[in-house]
Amino acid sequence: MTQQPDHLPPLTEATRAVDGAEHGITKKGLSAGAVGLIGAIVIGISCIAPAYTLTAALGPTVSEVGVQVPAIILVGFIPMLLVAFGYRELNRRMPDSGTSFTWATRAFGPWIGWMAGWGLIAATILVLSNLAGIAVDFLFLLISQITGNPEIAGLAANPLINVTVCLLFVAAATWVSYRDMQTTQRLQYWLVGFQVLVLLIFAGAALVEVANGNAFDATAIELSWFNPFAVESFSAFAAGLSLSIFIFWGWDVTLTMNEETKGSEKTPGRAATITVITIVVLYLLIAVALIAYAGVGTGEFGLGNPDIQDNVFFHLAGPILGPLAVLVSLAVLTSSASSLQSTFVSPARTLLAMGHYGALPEKFATVSPRFFTPGYATIVSAVVASVFYAVMRFLSEDVLWDTITALGMMICFYYGITAFACVWFFRKVWWRSVRNFFFTLLFPLVGGVILGVLFFTTLIDSMNPDYGSGSNIFGLGLVFVLGMVVLLSGVVIMLWQWWKRPGFFRGETLTRATAED
Amino acid sequence: MSGPDRIVVGYTANESGADALALGARLAAATEALLEVVMVLPIEVRGGVIPPDTGYERYVKERSRTWLAEASATLDDDIAQQLHIRYAESFAEGLIEAAHEFAASFIVVGAARGGLLGRMRIGSVASALLHSSDVPVALAPAGAREVAPAQGVTRITAAIGTRAGSSAVLEASVRFARSAHAPLRLLSLVPIDLPSGMDEGLADLASSAHADEVLAEAQRSLPAGVDATVVTATGATIEESVRDLEWHAGEVVLVGSSRLATPHHLFLGSTAAKMLRELPVPVIVVPRTTTP
Repeated sequence: MTQQPDHLPPLTEATRAVDGAEHGITKKGLSAGAVGLIGAIVIGISCIAPAYTLTAALGPTVSEVGVQVPAIILVGFIPMLLVAFGYRELNRRMPDSGTSFTWATRAFGPWIGWMAGWGLIAATILVLSNLAGIAVDFLFLLISQITGNPEIAGLAANPLINVTVCLLFVAAATWVSYRDMQTTQRLQYWLVGFQVLVLLIFAGAALVEVANGNAFDATAIELSWFNPFAVESFSAFAAGLSLSIFIFWGWDVTLTMNEETKGSEKTPGRAATITVITIVVLYLLIAVALIAYAGVGTGEFGLGNPDIQDNVFFHLAGPILGPLAVLVSLAVLTSSASSLQSTFVSPARTLLAMGHYGALPEKFATVSPRFFTPGYATIVSAVVASVFYAVMRFLSEDVLWDTITALGMMICFYYGITAFACVWFFRKVWWRSVRNFFFTLLFPLVGGVILGVLFFTTLIDSMNPDYGSGSNIFGLGLVFVLGMVVLLSGVVIMLWQWWKRPGFFRGETLTRATAED
Repeated sequence: MSGPDRIVVGYTANESGADALALGARLAAATEALLEVVMVLPIEVRGGVIPPDTGYERYVKERSRTWLAEASATLDDDIAQQLHIRYAESFAEGLIEAAHEFAASFIVVGAARGGLLGRMRIGSVASALLHSSDVPVALAPAGAREVAPAQGVTRITAAIGTRAGSSAVLEASVRFARSAHAPLRLLSLVPIDLPSGMDEGLADLASSAHADEVLAEAQRSLPAGVDATVVTATGATIEESVRDLEWHAGEVVLVGSSRLATPHHLFLGSTAAKMLRELPVPVIVVPRTTTP
C-alpha cells in the first residue's frame, strides 16, 4: 500500500499517533509476500469450486444448448476474462472492500453504485442458498452410500427436512465465517487436490464405461460439440453463456491477488493462467465424458432429464462409479464447504463498505472486535440467504435450477456495471499507453457489452413461462420473476435509504472521480 | 535496563480489553512505566480459502486505529503511552513479539471470557499466552476496568511454593515492589502443595513446619532494605485458603508458572490455575526463568 487513496475519512490527531503503518515488524505481517504460486492457485480453484459448480450448472446448460456445452464453456470464458482485466485495474487503483459498489459509485455516482453493490450482494446470496442446497443433497447421498440405504438419499427431497438441514448448514458456515476459522492452507491443498482427482476419476470412469459399451446412452463424441455456432438459436446461446459465466465466477480473484502474491511480478498472472487451464480442462473433460455417457436425452439418466438436471452428479455418480460414488459425494461436499467459506466473505464485505459510506445503516460497518470480521453484515447475509432458500424451496420444485439461472443474470448485471465503471473511470488515461488502451478501454468495454447483452437477452427470454425449469408465476417465468423481484426490491431499499440517509446520495461520503494519471 | 520500564497491553475493543487497559494503566502509574498499547490484527492470508483483500485489510486497520484512539482518550493524559498496531498469526504471538521488541516487563491481557454467572474463566487468548510467553503475563480480572488507576498498587503478594520457580517469583516481586513503592507480602502455599493422600496429622505437622521454613528462607534471601510480611495459606483447598485471606483492593499477586521443558505441558500449574479462578485481584504469572 504505497498510496493513501483520498476518499478515506481523514485521520484525526489521535489516530495519527498510532504507529504501525511503516514500522519494521509490521511489514512482515502485511499480506505482501504471503501467498505463493501454489497458494494462489489453490485459493483460485477453491473459490471456483469446480465439483460444486459443475454439478449445479451442467444440467441447466445442457437444457439450453444440448451437446454444445464444451463450446459454451470455451466461449463463456472470454467475457469473464475481459471483465476480470477491468476488475484488476480498478482493484489496483482503488483497493476497497466494497469492490463493485465502491468502484461504480466512483465512476457513475451513488445510484448506479448502489445498484451494483446490490447486484453483487444478491448474486452471492443466491449462490449461498444454492451451495447450501447442493450440500444438503450430497450429505444425504453420502449417508445413504455409507449406510447402504438408498432411501436416505430420498430424504433430501422432503422440503421440511431439506430446509431444516440447509439452515443448519448456513448456520455452521456463518459461525465459521464470523469467527474467521478458515481451513488452513495445508488442509486446503489436500482438499483441492482431492477434488480435482475425483473429478478426473469420475470423467475417466464415464469414458471407460462408454468404451466398454455400458453407457446409459452412448453418444459419439463429435467435433461439433466444440463449435459455438452449432447452437440452435441466439437465445439458447445467450442463456448458455450466462450460465457459463457462473462456472468461471471466482476465477477473477487469482488475477486481483496481485498485491498479495509473493515471488516475481509474474506470479499472479501465472497463477491465474494455471488455474484457468486446470479448470477449463476439467470442465471440458467432464462435460464431454458425461454427455458421451448419458447423452442429452430425457431418459432416466439423460442429461436432458429435468428431474436430474439441477444436480447431475447426484444422479450419475452411482451408475458410473458404483461403490466409488462416495468419492464424488465427498468431493462435492468439501468443494461446497470451501466455497461457502469464501463466498460468505463477499456480500459481508460489500455490505460493510455500504454501511461505512452511509449507503446502508451504520450497523453494517461493524467489525467484530475479537475476530476482525464484518460480524453484523455476515449475520444479515446468512439470515437473508436462509429465508430466501426456505421460501424458494416451497415455491419451486426446481429451486436449485432456477436460482442458478437467476444467478447468472445477476452476475452479468453487476460484472457488466463493474466493467463499464472501469472504462469510465479511466477515460482520461485511455490513450496514455498501449497497455491502457487494452486494459482500461477495449477489454472491459467488450466484456461489459457482452455481459449487458446477455443480461437483457436472459431477462426478456425468461419472461416465457417455459424458460429454465418451467416453473412460473402468473404465466411469467420464475427466473424472470426472481430477477425482477431481486432488482426491484433493491430499487425500493435504495429509495428508502435515500430518504433515510441522503448524505450518500448527495455524494458526501464517496465522490465521483476519474483516474488522472 | 535503560529508559523507563515498559508494559505491553494487549488491547481488544471489548470489555476484556478495557480490563486489560485499566490494569495496565494502573501498573504503569504505580511504577512510572511507559504503556505500550498494542492491538494485534490477524494476518489475512493464513488460511487457504479466502482470497486476501487489501481493501478490507486497510479498513480493519483504520477501524483499529479509531479503537485505539478512543481507548487512549479514556486514559489520563499523564500516563505515558504509545499506541501500536501489529500483525501476527495469533494474538498471543503478536503480543510476545511486541513485548520482546519493547523489552517490556509485563504483558497485560484481560483474563475473562464472559464466564457464566459471574464465574471467571480464563479466555483462550490469556490461556494461549500462559502457555507460550517468556515474559510475565498480568491477567486483568473481569471488572478491572472499574478500578481507578489512582488506586495504584497498595501491596504485592508473592505466592511461594516449594517447587522450582519460586525464586523467579521472589525476584520479580522484589523488583516490582521497589518500582511500585509497595509493601511486599510473602504467601506460602506449602500446606496445599503437598501430595494428596498423605496422612492428615503428619501432613499438618510437616507442612506447617515446612511452610515456616520456606518463608523464613525466602525472607532471608530478600535483598537488604526490602522488608516483607509473611502469611501461610490455611485451608483444605486452594480455593478455601484464597477466600480466607485478606486482600487489598489495590493488591497484585505474583505466582510462578510451572512451565516444563516438555511440550504439551501447561505453563500454568494447577495450583496457580485454581488461584486464578478465585482471586478477586489481578495476577501476574512469572515464567520460571525470567529474562534478567
